[in-house]
Amino acid sequence: MSCLTLSQTATLRPYLNAVRATLQAALCLENFSSQVVERHNKPEVEVRSSKELLLQPVIISRNEKEKVLIEGSINSVRVSIAVKQADEIEKILCHKFMRFMMMRAENFFILRRKPVEGYDINVQTQTGGLRHSLHGGDRQRDQ
Amino acid sequence: LGALHVVLKNPPINTKNQNVKDRAEGLVLKVLTAFKSSDLEKGVQSLDRNGVDLLMKYIYKGFERPSENSSAVLLQWHEKALAAGGVGSIVRVLTARKTV
Repeated sequence: MSCLTLSQTATLRPYLNAVRATLQAALCLENFSSQVVERHNKPEVEVRSSKELLLQPVIISRNEKEKVLIEGSINSVRVSIAVKQADEIEKILCHKFMRFMMMRAENFFILRRKPVEGYDINVQTQTGGLRHSLHGGDRQRDQ
Repeated sequence: LGALHVVLKNPPINTKNQNVKDRAEGLVLKVLTAFKSSDLEKGVQSLDRNGVDLLMKYIYKGFERPSENSSAVLLQWHEKALAAGGVGSIVRVLTARKTV
């Protein structure tokens, strides 16, 4: 694919570490029902109903082409990833691959069907989903 | 080192003027790139808790506009600031009402 120069490999590890640390900070979610409609529980990062429920969106970029946008809120987090595409064929490959995964988004649970403007793929998660995957279904055992 | 302190001293948090914020950000970026990699550690150590938080804010602001080499430098600063401030400093950036 693309040949990695020395400076590029040098930035990969700190880039991933920075993304991991920021995700660790942003993934503090709690269950929060919608303030607008009774009995509804919506992911605030998609609905954006009130300003006080949203966190500052934060970008971590490795170079102009590759970046990760992390938007948090009280009960959901959206991670948008811009993948490096060096030339036409990589663009096409990336586009096709992302489309493949996004069309099967139902099975993935945390994928978003359409990427945010300017990025290639979105991962979005809510409290319910996290609890399930982190605790491995403990809740069912409690009952 | 002294330049780092000066540039972090009066952050334009309360101005609505975008120009002022852009100029301040440009200055901070220049100072950060002027540091040698061996001096990064000392620079971060010399800041107090608020300074580290402020540094993190500027780092994330700098990430928004990547130019040729800025991201590599910023990533190194990010690593050192993280070691000093911990995940808490990132949380404080995420929850800050008024951005730098």
